[in-house]
Amino acid sequence: MQTWLLTAIIFSPLLGVLLLWLPPRGSDRSIRRSALFYSVVTFGLAVFALFKFYGVAPTDSQGDPKYLLQHWSYWLGDVEVMGDVADVEILYHVGVDGISIWLMVLTAFLMPLAIWSSFTSVRTRVREYFSLLLLLEVGLLGVFCAMDLLLFYIFFEFTLVPLYFLIGIWGGPARRKAANKFFIFTLSGSVFMFAAVLFLAYYSYSDSGLALGYITLNIEKLSQLAHAGFISTSVQWWLFLAFAAGFAIKVPLFPVHTWLPLAHTEAPTAGSVILAGVLLKLGTYGFCRISLPMFPHATMTLAPFVACLAIAGIIYTALAAWVQTDVKKLVAYSSVSHLGFCILGLFSLKITRVNGAVIYMINHGLSTGALFLIIGYIYERYHTRDINEIGGLARKMPWLTFFLVFFTLSSIGLPGLNGFVGEFLVLLGTATSNTTNDLRAAGPLGYGYAIPAAIGIILGAVYMLWMCQRVLFGPLKEPPNTPDTSTGLSADLTGREIFILVPVAVLCLAIGVYPNPLLDTFTIATEQHVLRTPASHSWSVTEAGDDLQEEIKRADPMRLVESTSVNNLERVSVGNVGSDDLSTKKLGITPVFSSYPVTTPGMFLLNPVTKSSVAKTDHPETDAMTDGRSR
Amino acid sequence: MSIDALNTLKLSGLVVLLAPLLGAILAGALGPKVLRSRSHWPAILGVGAALAASINIFMTIYGAPAGEASARIPIYDWILSGAGSSFRVEFLIDPLTSLMLLTVTGISLLVVIYSRDYMREHDKPERGYERFFAFLALFVFAMVALVLGGNFLLLYLGWEAVGLCSYLLIGFYYSKPAAAAAAKKAFLVNRVGDFGFGLGILLIYLSFGTLEYGAVFEMVQNGVLASGEPLAQGRITAIALLLLCGACGKSAQLPLHVWLPDAMEGPSPVSALIHAATMVTAGVYMIARCGAIFTASTTAMTVVAIIGALTALFAATIALVQMDMKRILAYSTISQLGYMFLGIGVYAADSAVFHLFTHAFFKALLFLGAGSVMHAMGGIIDVRYFGGLRKLLPWTFLTFLVGSLALSGFPGLAGFFSKDEIIHHALSSHWILGGVGLLTALLTAFYTFRMVFLAFFGRERVPEGVHAHESGKWMLAPLLLLSVGAIGVGYLGVGAKPFHEFLAPVFEHTFVANNPAIWHGHASDHAGFWEHYGLMIVSGGLAIFGIIGAYFLYARELWIPGLVKATVPRTYKALLGKYFVDEAYDATIVTPARQVGRFCVGIDNWFIDGLIWFVAAVPRAIAYGLRLMHAGGMQGYGVSMVAGIAIIVVLLFWM
Repeated sequence: MQTWLLTAIIFSPLLGVLLLWLPPRGSDRSIRRSALFYSVVTFGLAVFALFKFYGVAPTDSQGDPKYLLQHWSYWLGDVEVMGDVADVEILYHVGVDGISIWLMVLTAFLMPLAIWSSFTSVRTRVREYFSLLLLLEVGLLGVFCAMDLLLFYIFFEFTLVPLYFLIGIWGGPARRKAANKFFIFTLSGSVFMFAAVLFLAYYSYSDSGLALGYITLNIEKLSQLAHAGFISTSVQWWLFLAFAAGFAIKVPLFPVHTWLPLAHTEAPTAGSVILAGVLLKLGTYGFCRISLPMFPHATMTLAPFVACLAIAGIIYTALAAWVQTDVKKLVAYSSVSHLGFCILGLFSLKITRVNGAVIYMINHGLSTGALFLIIGYIYERYHTRDINEIGGLARKMPWLTFFLVFFTLSSIGLPGLNGFVGEFLVLLGTATSNTTNDLRAAGPLGYGYAIPAAIGIILGAVYMLWMCQRVLFGPLKEPPNTPDTSTGLSADLTGREIFILVPVAVLCLAIGVYPNPLLDTFTIATEQHVLRTPASHSWSVTEAGDDLQEEIKRADPMRLVESTSVNNLERVSVGNVGSDDLSTKKLGITPVFSSYPVTTPGMFLLNPVTKSSVAKTDHPETDAMTDGRSR
Repeated sequence: MSIDALNTLKLSGLVVLLAPLLGAILAGALGPKVLRSRSHWPAILGVGAALAASINIFMTIYGAPAGEASARIPIYDWILSGAGSSFRVEFLIDPLTSLMLLTVTGISLLVVIYSRDYMREHDKPERGYERFFAFLALFVFAMVALVLGGNFLLLYLGWEAVGLCSYLLIGFYYSKPAAAAAAKKAFLVNRVGDFGFGLGILLIYLSFGTLEYGAVFEMVQNGVLASGEPLAQGRITAIALLLLCGACGKSAQLPLHVWLPDAMEGPSPVSALIHAATMVTAGVYMIARCGAIFTASTTAMTVVAIIGALTALFAATIALVQMDMKRILAYSTISQLGYMFLGIGVYAADSAVFHLFTHAFFKALLFLGAGSVMHAMGGIIDVRYFGGLRKLLPWTFLTFLVGSLALSGFPGLAGFFSKDEIIHHALSSHWILGGVGLLTALLTAFYTFRMVFLAFFGRERVPEGVHAHESGKWMLAPLLLLSVGAIGVGYLGVGAKPFHEFLAPVFEHTFVANNPAIWHGHASDHAGFWEHYGLMIVSGGLAIFGIIGAYFLYARELWIPGLVKATVPRTYKALLGKYFVDEAYDATIVTPARQVGRFCVGIDNWFIDGLIWFVAAVPRAIAYGLRLMHAGGMQGYGVSMVAGIAIIVVLLFWM
């Protein structure tokens, strides 16, 4: 059951789509309700997975880090027969760690809310609309679970299609232009990314590359090799840049952000919620899952450059947000500004600060998602989002006022609400990045980066409060013949609308007061999968002689690659799907290391010994040895 | 400290913190439907419980054995900061904390009680009655968190949270554009200060690897960084100045004072509680708390003193010409906070905290008195529209007079003793600082009594259509209690100085140990009669002189102010226009920033998109060119075929 759990979660919305199309002519009402029901089922499964996740340890008995709830089957290439080595090993491989599980749950959480919020606003082609939303969910969930680059890429690209139609069909007046712009921007970034994926496949096989003797796109394996110093710096550079092209446009990072404000303004409310809440996180998640672990050297060198772009974006888009008159565009620009913080946190390359960036993703998903919902509510009633045409709504809409102020405060990082936790950790990380206070190698950023970023925080408060003041306070101002209550809406929020916002608000508060449950799981994932600098156990040499060990201690990891023959890297028996391994059966999961042992002279670095057998070592040399980027 | 005492402190600390929060939640949740006009009860009970617990904390600390009057109490792990360690929610309880708690909860309780009547019109609750009490109780929670917190992160939390409550309460009458704008301005100006404050906290973490008060202060005093390297003077000065930024924002000191006068758009009880007695003193509290950091840098201390002195004088001059009673009081608050900064800057932190304590009483009293006037005048507070109210509002007048005397530094009342101490220390530091203090004292007495004479003396007149009436007992009781405080609390600082004795352990290693005046043998306590009492006589004399001056100009020879106005019109305009600081900020920061914003949008729409259009145009142009070749004309295909063959042939033969 558990091996199939993630697959079931990813594709359950697809099943929902099929079921939506089964009845030949269902009423709009029943279609809406069943779409909501299917998304709630997916959410239920995701929560179930979350509990499962908490039930098992993130490291196995060897102390090896592992992804949980994994499942794979051969997809491209030969299904392997015992002892025979396949040439292509591209898998359907899903699994989650402490970071992706939360993003997956966030997706599954926001989708029912987005669907529910569309009940009154979408009146045409209802069945198509909800089908596309559910399809979008499939893509999003897939990205967060994918552990094979090709699978990742496919899901990553697949998200474009439903959203393209959602914007293009149910969007505002300039929807065609917005949809095209969105599609072309993201697709052109992805072209580079796809080239990089192809190159990696070649590189893994080729004798001049990793010389594995077979093609692999396994994210985990490639990151291991990269951290052991097997991917040369120049290759890392190019790959980093190619992937960054795809991710930076998705995030979006300054200066390729111009598609976002337009896409947001034109998208229907649910589209905006998912776009801001989850879709943009694909970019940051990509950086965190692929760029950081697979190209550590390039990340280290290029981080200041990326950070500068992020900071420029933070300030630039904050200023741009301030002069918007369309509330939705204002929040869209604020998204760009906020995600700049997220990138900054990631590239501080400090464990707890990368955590900050990850929690920032979740927080941004919650609060900005909710802001778009609220703006949608306003738009449904007044058919305008122009700050000059509406004003003083507080008198008429106390509930709306409460929520808008609440999420504004969450968004501008009021301590005690969720936004602060991420913002604080990110700034802390940026400021302390180049220290070794946490007994880890120095990161690339420093205090100088925190100062302009902090200006972004002031500006964040400026434009959000400016917006609140204009929309909510002052004398009441409404366009003629509004509010429009023809679709069964009341002047203030209806029970349904309040019910949609309450869970988000509760989560915002809960994360603000007690974020540690999330941060704990992030820490393990960050240590083991993103930065790959294990703190809980010491990595030491177990299979090499003392002389070699000494040599390694002195050696530069990069030089080591050149001096050690990498050609005798070989793969030892890869376990079949459904292997009889006892531990596998017991836990219902298939740990990655036990089935992919790589025994080569170069790989002893990756053999950890458990906490109990070796005292924790904090020596910088040891860190430097195991941590490829710490040169 | 014994386990029992620690448990008492923990329990009481939690009550002080959570009772107001509970009150706020109850008032907010039950107010609209269930409690309605009784919505003040959750707030009163919550704050009352907090006061009781504060008294308990005070007694525990007071009764603690010497040298053990400080406790650090962890509550829970808040934000994970590194392998296995977290930023905690924790309390630091010492004499300074316990005094601040008493002040905050005590004044809060009186203000909440006062608001019960103030927020009513003809005994019917105003619109948003429950919201008001919920916010007020929430404020008490935030302020208590600020004071109780045992690390810089909690300080920051409280700091922002009181800012939020201030924002919500200033904008209480949100339909009034001025109120909404003032609320936003307050929040934003504070954010500017917090920018520095936050960077300071980051720098602290960067330097010391922790944000816990005790650990940080210890490292500062030992002069080492977390890495074991010696602490550079520049680093500690930078930290202190960045923290000072935050203090200037919250305590409305130059150049970030602009928000406080506008904040008077909030209801009067809010002005009394937040913008006079408690929140605005957070900056003073913070500097006193971080004495170890500030006193490690003489530069920072000098800056604090200079900012304090300048602000005190600057705000007092503006107060001379304002017409709105609450704005006069607001500028007076800024000026008095300047005194406190001055006191800290000259190493007299105990005197500054003492002034904070006495000021809380008489300034809250004055604001509540002004509120009582405003209530009676139907919402009008401009002294041009009324006068001679002493018969109409006898109790309000009497209590207001007491507050004014205390503020002016009239001998024997609370303000006299605390202000005198600060001036005394300022004089022993540098004569200019002391001189500014004395001049400001004169101005203070003058503008205070200008307001008193304009409002309460002279011909009796009230705005049209207003039936002036004395306020009810819910409002008068707090006024009377505060009057007693404004008269009495000053005596805690004379003779054996129990107030200063109690605080002494907090400051002995920082402000006292690092005071250059004491090193140079200027210790004040051993001075002779004239040195001891001479200043008292001078400052008392100045206060009386100021009062008499105000009487002369605003109660007898009313033509003189007009003449002065006419002779120096530019000076008068500058004062009336508050030196045009707002306008200057608008012109130099706000407008340009918005222009830059428009420019950014322009870049987005024209430059970036244009560039991308251009990139897309190149293949498009090529495609247009190529399309011609596939137009389907047979001649074209024929020509290209022949040409192709020709090229191949040529290549074959030539190669």
